[in-house]
Amino acid sequence: MKCDEVAPLLAADADGEVDSLRSHAIRKHVAGCAVCGPRQRALLELQQRLRAELPRHAAPAALRARLRSEHSPAAARPPAPELRWRWFGAGLLTGSLAAGLVWAASLALGPVGPGDDLSGRVVGRHTQATLGQHLVQVASSDQHRVKPWLSARLDYSIPVSDAAQAGFPLVGARIDRLDGRPVATLVYRRRDHVIDVFVRPDATAAGPPAVHAVRGFNVAAAKGADMEWLAVSDLRGAELEAFLQGLARGEVGPPPE
Amino acid sequence: MPEHAEFERRVLVHLDAGYNLARWLAHDARDAEDVVQDACLRALKYIGSLQGEDGRAWFLTIVRRAFYDWLARNRPALLLHDDESAVDALADEADGPEQALVRKTERLALVEAVAALPLIFREVIVLRELEQLSYKEIARIAEVPIGTVMSRLSRARRLLQASAPLRALDGRAEGREP
Repeated sequence: MKCDEVAPLLAADADGEVDSLRSHAIRKHVAGCAVCGPRQRALLELQQRLRAELPRHAAPAALRARLRSEHSPAAARPPAPELRWRWFGAGLLTGSLAAGLVWAASLALGPVGPGDDLSGRVVGRHTQATLGQHLVQVASSDQHRVKPWLSARLDYSIPVSDAAQAGFPLVGARIDRLDGRPVATLVYRRRDHVIDVFVRPDATAAGPPAVHAVRGFNVAAAKGADMEWLAVSDLRGAELEAFLQGLARGEVGPPPE
Repeated sequence: MPEHAEFERRVLVHLDAGYNLARWLAHDARDAEDVVQDACLRALKYIGSLQGEDGRAWFLTIVRRAFYDWLARNRPALLLHDDESAVDALADEADGPEQALVRKTERLALVEAVAALPLIFREVIVLRELEQLSYKEIARIAEVPIGTVMSRLSRARRLLQASAPLRALDGRAEGREP
């Protein structure tokens, strides 16, 4: 292909709108062309930066709640389980300024509960999130929304998969702090149980400890994809561990693209 | 009430996408909420017409229409500025007005540069880069032919590439001050 054929197709190619045969021909031309090469690089760089830097505005929780109560037959059926805990927490906070202040203070002070070990700290994060209104900052079951949302806010990128097919639908994600660093927290649901999965670059050499209980919650750990994975939930220990192992090995849900 | 179950299952799951589009178009959080609220009312009304198709593209179409209606009611002057023919004229005339747009985006950071784009360019950028929709889907949502989607994307990108931080990446700018 020649420049005048390739130039008008560069954008469509970057947008994945060109069939593979032609895309191959474009790549071949671009590799050796001093005009189309920089043009293509500029396009791809712009695309990459837009996806990384443009904020995706998640709908405010209050708007979602309002729409749900206005347009759903709330009287006819109880709220879905994931709502029950979310709005239970929100109600507590907005209902009482004092409670809100205590909650804010507990956030500011960091870990709550006894013990300074990692398990105690992640359980603290889990209980804060499930009682407060910040269970998720991005509410989406779409891994293609959650992953870039996290990548834009962290200096590392993690594999994200919706595990709905395995019975663990993805609810969303948020950013927590662990050991003074921001960490990705994926939130899944299993029946009525909330599962927080903390994912960060693997910094420790020690093998993962077996699943154990902390203050009534189960904590599981796993390694995979160069990441350390920690799961907290009131789900049964064996089930939690099996789910986390599968997640860390990338064996649940559709393969990430 | 089956519509309500459908609304929950097929519309509310795309609330973030709808709100994000409204927010990028309207700029303001409160205005975006008004737009989304109106869009949800419409979605509920017409949900019977939603067959097997993708609920997200369908809902985004409604959000976009709700936004332009809101704009016509509340900021008619802005609509006038963004009129298609006015913007199309930019490219055809000599360099004048398009140069002015380039100058406008030139010194802005990328996010600000996107926010400063004329609406018809901003919406295709948001739908393409944040929602990662295909040309076909964008054409349907923006209610224009695919060729128009492509030319708008291309001009939007040209404007964004003129913003200062990107210029540093451009091969032509090598050796210049960052």
